[in-house]
Amino acid sequence: MSTDINLLLRTDEESLRQKKRIKILNSVAIGSLIIVGIISITIFILIQVANPSSAKREQLDVLEKISQFQDRQSELYVLNNRIENVGGILKIRRNISKTMRELLAEIPADISVSGFIVDEKSVTISGESKSLSPIADLISNLSDMVYKKEIIKSLTLSSLDLNTDGSAFEITLKSDL
Amino acid sequence: MKEKINTNLKSLKFVFNKSKSYVFPSVIILISILLFFQFVIPEFSLLFKTQEEVNALKAKTELLKENLGMLTNINQDTLDSQYNTMILALPANKDYIEILNTVNIAAQKAGVNLGNYSFKVGSLGKADSVDISPVIKLNVPIESGLTGVNSFVQIINNTIPLSQIDSVNVGETSSSVTISFYYKLLDSSNYSQDALISPVSQEGLNMIDQMKEFNTASSFLMPQVPTATASAVKQVGAEL
Repeated sequence: MSTDINLLLRTDEESLRQKKRIKILNSVAIGSLIIVGIISITIFILIQVANPSSAKREQLDVLEKISQFQDRQSELYVLNNRIENVGGILKIRRNISKTMRELLAEIPADISVSGFIVDEKSVTISGESKSLSPIADLISNLSDMVYKKEIIKSLTLSSLDLNTDGSAFEITLKSDL
Repeated sequence: MKEKINTNLKSLKFVFNKSKSYVFPSVIILISILLFFQFVIPEFSLLFKTQEEVNALKAKTELLKENLGMLTNINQDTLDSQYNTMILALPANKDYIEILNTVNIAAQKAGVNLGNYSFKVGSLGKADSVDISPVIKLNVPIESGLTGVNSFVQIINNTIPLSQIDSVNVGETSSSVTISFYYKLLDSSNYSQDALISPVSQEGLNMIDQMKEFNTASSFLMPQVPTATASAVKQVGAEL
């Protein structure tokens, strides 16, 4: 029975397989060494190519040219800064002069203004007239402004008196802005 | 015993001889792997770092070139004129001399007389508060009625340095006006030579034109400094 077993042949096959494995292993070893070498050299070359010193030199050149315009640059910075801030101020700036101008335009010429107080919240107008008609016109004009929501939001008749010698009517009006 | 050791050695030698051919390439592969992790990967990161550095440098250089082009094309005279207008509109310090000039000239133009007035300037080096728009406040007595005060207020409102009329109190012969003059110290913390310089926007140009339409103290004739102003200047000096 044992004569059926061909030991020699089996040994050859095993030996061939082993040689093949060794060959592959050798190839892999050499290949890996070569690959590592190639990658390393390639990266080294790329690092040399991408050397930042030339970019730095170029930047220094530009910086040197810009330094000649340094005053202009700071002037422009200040200008833009002022524009930004003036824009902000113009948005929040209360225009009492406009309020004053428009309210005064509504006061009839026959009324003599004896007091005019205006601040950010309210306006108080005091005046006197020989007749009631201009006073009525004033109240009417200011009432229209309240209805049209122009400048004033409300109108209060604080007082309407006949002065002591009876020669003129005195009026005081108060409005919220 | 000695025979047993010999047997073991023999078997070891046999195993070594049998696998000797695998050892050398395996060692080479291991060395390759070691080299890869030890040198190639750090080289890769160095490459990326260098590349990033170069890209950053190039980007900054491009930005600087843009700035250079922009600065080169600016007309210096126009810039000076715009700068002077805007720095007068909103002074970068507490320009009390300009304020006094403006108030006095406005009074002259309105044909009214000013009473004695004073104002507190405070520290000249820094803003007194952290307000977005700090102001110097004045209460100016005016020896005039409604017409004169109205005229004074209209002139002040259309004159730079920019100011705001806070309140007006008009009597028959004497009145008073409270005015806040704006100023704003320069904040250089945002200034960087490497930042992109923006040219003046169209909105900004419109604003400059708007400011140029305002009166300035120098656009009127230089006034005689009235007594009230002189005393005010003395008071300001004393407060400093």
